[in-house]
Amino acid sequence: MSAAAVPEQLQQASGPVRRLAEVLLVRPGPYARAFENLILGLIVLSVASIGVEAIPALPAWVTPALRVEEVIVVAVFSFEYLLRIVVAKGKFAFIFSFEGLVDLLSIAPAFLLGLDTRWLRALRLLRLLRLLKLQTHILETTVAQRTRELAQKNVLLEQAQAQIKAELEVARALQIAILPATFPLRTGCDSAARMLPATTMGGDFYDFIELPHGKVGLVMADVSGKGVPAAFFMAVARTSLRGVAAGHATPGACLAEANGVLCAQNPLDLFVTVFYCMLDPITGVLRYANGGHNPPYLRRADGSIEALSGAGGLVLGAMPDVEFPEHAVQLGIGDHLVLYTDGVTEAFNAAYEPYGEERLVAEIQAHGAGSAAGLVERICHSVTAFAGAAPQSDDITLIVLSWNYTVPALPQ
Amino acid sequence: MNVRLETLGLTTVVIPAGRLDFGSANGFEKQLELVFAGVGTAPAAVIIDCAALEYVSSAGLRVFLLAARTSQRASIYFALCALQPAVHEVFKLSGFNRIITVHADRATALAQAPQGRA
Repeated sequence: MSAAAVPEQLQQASGPVRRLAEVLLVRPGPYARAFENLILGLIVLSVASIGVEAIPALPAWVTPALRVEEVIVVAVFSFEYLLRIVVAKGKFAFIFSFEGLVDLLSIAPAFLLGLDTRWLRALRLLRLLRLLKLQTHILETTVAQRTRELAQKNVLLEQAQAQIKAELEVARALQIAILPATFPLRTGCDSAARMLPATTMGGDFYDFIELPHGKVGLVMADVSGKGVPAAFFMAVARTSLRGVAAGHATPGACLAEANGVLCAQNPLDLFVTVFYCMLDPITGVLRYANGGHNPPYLRRADGSIEALSGAGGLVLGAMPDVEFPEHAVQLGIGDHLVLYTDGVTEAFNAAYEPYGEERLVAEIQAHGAGSAAGLVERICHSVTAFAGAAPQSDDITLIVLSWNYTVPALPQ
Repeated sequence: MNVRLETLGLTTVVIPAGRLDFGSANGFEKQLELVFAGVGTAPAAVIIDCAALEYVSSAGLRVFLLAARTSQRASIYFALCALQPAVHEVFKLSGFNRIITVHADRATALAQAPQGRA
């Protein structure tokens, strides 16, 4: 303790009583703490004993015990009262202060001999206020300290959170950036794709892959789960598919090999649904295999709609050595193929109703005669309008491909 | 999502109700881990009664996949039963009905479950 912090009254010259009073009441330390605790304990004890006295038919030994207790309590309280007067700077100010009067009243009844003033002892209840004061003090100190600690932690948390958010945004931007912007240029093919990312990091992706002999591979995929794990698995899945696609003449074999690759490097037990098809832009033949993905819709030029729902295979990454049944369909001039993820059909509105396949089919039917980009735009608009203000919990991804190949006229 | 458990001899029937999506998948995964571990001794069979399961997202499918793997490792019979049409559709679509046994109703599932440890 520095000299400046020592209370003024300690600096006055003093006798032994005063020094005792200072040690017990003023100077912070073990003695003052012990004395404070003793007084508080006695306050509680004396108030409790007043309550005990009120109980009818007490055992015989209680009354003398209470009398002894009363003598001790009054003696200690009186001692403390005197010490307080000794250390007080303004003696009269202390005696007539609220606290001073309470202290006096709690011992006075014992000295008013001959009068039945026991009820006055009930005033000791007021001394309990001291307990409250102490509690308030402890509480205030604790609260102030916790508030300071919390403020410091909040600053750290905010910094950490801002950093995580910034890193997630970078990851999200990378994830979107690796999606191909355009369909490879092929005569007679009109294609458009769109992904509306979810508020949390989703795992949808699509891809256009250049294949031997001018063919083009189309991938529509959805990784299970969300967040960073899904994003990583999405990157692995996309790379694996790209890596093996050119080496296979059929989509089923391509999915089977990609599945093997994914099962071998899947520590988090994620999986991915993949629809993979290979288009021959000259003949319009579309060969496809489905690894647990929503079957795409094919809108014929005459307005009829069919789902490419031939038997599918298992999702990729779940189990090695599975086969993927293959199918083929002949596209006609003016046909539109619509590939999508369940983010479209399972976009929920505020009432928890899904957008559903019927609404999707109706959109395709109504707007399928125009350009691929136009149809993508209409569907996205319809889904977001349906969902309204409900949070978008999953990526919404679409590819529309229309085939319009006519054999170029031979030069004359 | 709410999950109830019923024990019938050595078989534990898990009864999830509601939507098994990204939000509830993690909790359900932990619950199933506890079910497979059992109290004292592991169960001989675990059956998930999906009668009150309204929706399963891909995150939910993953939980079933993990459960199937756990059951295989621990040689515990594992099956699903009483799938609602929408959930059944998801199972067929994803190919999960090929790797996880699905029964029409609980009675059939219980009849298939072993009565003791294999």
